[in-house]
Amino acid sequence: MRPIPGRGQRHELWGLVLVLPVLALLLAFRFWPMLQVLRLSLYRYDLLSPPRFIGLDNYTRLVHDPLFYQSLTATGYYVAGTCLPLWVLSLVLALVLDSMPFGKGFFRAAVFLPAIVPSVVLPILWRFLYHPYGLVNSLLNSVGLPPVSWLSDARTVIPSFIVTSEWRFIPLFMVIYLAGLQSIPDEYHEAARVDGASAVQRFFTITLPLLRPTIGVVVVTSVILTAKSLVLALLMTNGAPGGASRLLSLFVYQNAFIFLKLGYASAASVVLLAVLAIFTMLQLRFFRPLE
Amino acid sequence: MLLCAGIAAAFAVPIYWMVSTSFRQPAEVFSLPIQWLPAHLGFGNYSSAWSQYDFTRFTINSMVVSGCVTAAQVLLASLAGFGLAKYRFFGRDVLLLAILATLMLPVEVIMVPLFTTVQGLGWINSYQGLIVPMIADAFGVFLMRQFMLRIPDDLIHAARLDGASELRIFFQIAMPLSWPAAATLAIFVWRETWDDFLWPFLVTSDLPHRTLPLGIALMQQNFTTDYGRVMALATLATIPPALVFFLFQRAFVRGIALTGLRG
Repeated sequence: MRPIPGRGQRHELWGLVLVLPVLALLLAFRFWPMLQVLRLSLYRYDLLSPPRFIGLDNYTRLVHDPLFYQSLTATGYYVAGTCLPLWVLSLVLALVLDSMPFGKGFFRAAVFLPAIVPSVVLPILWRFLYHPYGLVNSLLNSVGLPPVSWLSDARTVIPSFIVTSEWRFIPLFMVIYLAGLQSIPDEYHEAARVDGASAVQRFFTITLPLLRPTIGVVVVTSVILTAKSLVLALLMTNGAPGGASRLLSLFVYQNAFIFLKLGYASAASVVLLAVLAIFTMLQLRFFRPLE
Repeated sequence: MLLCAGIAAAFAVPIYWMVSTSFRQPAEVFSLPIQWLPAHLGFGNYSSAWSQYDFTRFTINSMVVSGCVTAAQVLLASLAGFGLAKYRFFGRDVLLLAILATLMLPVEVIMVPLFTTVQGLGWINSYQGLIVPMIADAFGVFLMRQFMLRIPDDLIHAARLDGASELRIFFQIAMPLSWPAAATLAIFVWRETWDDFLWPFLVTSDLPHRTLPLGIALMQQNFTTDYGRVMALATLATIPPALVFFLFQRAFVRGIALTGLRG
């Protein structure tokens, strides 16, 4: 909008006034803490005595901390293990749902339930399902397979997290894909069908290319969502067994609030912040806010 | 079709198991072979779980916190969205990008200094501590701004020429035209706040300020093996968001599709 000539720009400044409340809150509860996390990462701080400046010591210790590496590995395993299948499975499910002749609403509602479950219920419910005598092992038993100690075995704990997360996130990303699929005009498919293209050809030449922006959103969002994940690990295993499921955010939480090493925890937060910063930038590219 | 039914069942069975366990006596919980139906349909687990802690209080706390955060966030995000969409002032685009950059700062990343900041304000174990830090969020601002870009400039000009104040333009022109976006945002913010575990968990340590998710986690921690009662609470906690989902399915799905654009 162009300001009306001669009437001055005075009313335009109202825009700034309208943004001020949000801006003040973001400054106090987002930007200020962000600066603090960078600052605290250079200090030794236990909440009880005043912070003491120690330079980059926290970072050098982090680099030499096997628990930190264990945590990074677990996080990478969890993020990659969840996201890669998620991208494909939620698309497949969206395609299935999109092509259903009837019962779409019912199917979507049934499939969508896991996305509605409160995030505190998710780990509690799945801990119960993964219980040594729980439903998962009972189902294995009924087909003659031996029980698995899902959450207390270092080899199966992250895969268990992954299954739970697929259950939780597939419906969510399916809905995002569905929105993308429905924005593709039917005429494209009609035209291709008239030209004799098979369903598979149509998928690779029409659906997939036109779905590119949606795929971008799904990829970036799912990585952010899983990389910062804390509540799942906190309530499902609290890092057990032997730290095998101590995701990075849980590493930060435990160091800060259990061991009261707030400086050290902040240094680990900075690593998490760097990862999220990269993916948020990518996310903003898909937003294209200034267009 | 059979495949679809199979897929739907895979997603629905854990929920069914949660609900059916909430009716079971301890002896029935782990019976082999699997008993798909509970022996009785009694609400004993529900009433005894509810009175184990002050769940009425937890629920009221959750309602107060999510209600306040939702109302405040929708109002402030709309104001800011309008300011960013329909006014030209120096540094506007930079400001928008700065606001959007806070998307990379979820509570998980800044939990340590956010906690110390709120502690410095003396807000640990208080309603303002639960509410105020959660009010401003870049996503709502962005959503409202995108929607308000579509408001015709002529409408605003005409009102201004008629002598309407800027706040009046906001309340009588911008808001009435943007209610679908505001409603979507409200549903979404309500759900997220009602659902939130991490921030209330960090900022409260006493029982009187706990919200419902904290109460459930507390129950699970102290009565680990009491699956019937824990699942009764889990079922109860799932009902409000499920109701909102079924009542506002379109707006809810739109909100999820939009939040897909968010971390």
